[in-house]
Amino acid sequence: MSELICVGAIAGGFGVMGEVRLKSFCAVPEDIAAYAPLSNEDGTRTFAVRITRPISGGFAARLGGITTKEQADALKGLRLYALRDRLPSLPDDEYYHADLIGLQVVDTGGAVLGEVIAVQNHGAGDLLEIRRGAGQETVLLPFTLAAVPTVDLTAGRIVADPPEGLFER
Amino acid sequence: MSRSVWKGPFVDAYVLKKAEAAREGGRHDVIKIWSRRSTILPQFVGLTFGVYNGKKHVPVSVTEDMIGQKFGEYSPTRTYYGHAADKKAKRK
Repeated sequence: MSELICVGAIAGGFGVMGEVRLKSFCAVPEDIAAYAPLSNEDGTRTFAVRITRPISGGFAARLGGITTKEQADALKGLRLYALRDRLPSLPDDEYYHADLIGLQVVDTGGAVLGEVIAVQNHGAGDLLEIRRGAGQETVLLPFTLAAVPTVDLTAGRIVADPPEGLFER
Repeated sequence: MSRSVWKGPFVDAYVLKKAEAAREGGRHDVIKIWSRRSTILPQFVGLTFGVYNGKKHVPVSVTEDMIGQKFGEYSPTRTYYGHAADKKAKRK
């Protein structure tokens, strides 16, 4: 897997020395520097990232090749992407949200239930948000061994055994 | 001011009835409830409730550390997705 994952964005220039104001979307915000080099959405520009200090709402950072305030200001709004391969591997039964989103969900009989569009956690365990079809209401499925016995990332699908009544209106 | 202790925790009666029926039946289906104000009691541990958030029922698997909280705390009424980035989910 080598797709790009959005890990942050540039909120604008910071100061007059060519630093940028960096917003991190990572679970541990400082980790964004560990995933460098970061690129833009189409991968045509890449940047080395060095965090200089934490500031209100993010970090002040130096990007490779950005030396002036004008260059830094021009990057405002740019989203930064990391290669999926840069993320550390995880133990069994732990998955990156980015890997789960987009997987097809089938029941134990093989019938398609929908597609994962988001992973949520409101304090009572992780939940997979599944879209059943275009224009249809989404369903939240507990991400447990009982409800999701199989996650097959290579085949791009999840086998679900949802509790009764979950997929009924 | 907090609730008087002599009254005991508040739970809507229908929630107690549904939970009891589910426990006796040994079923593992989602217990749909609309009572966000009910307190989570020790006898609810192990059950999965679908707590209404105004739009849909959010599955809430009750664990021991949730006792004493209200169901509504685990079923937010506002949607916020954020970015997936390097966030992880663990299958338990």
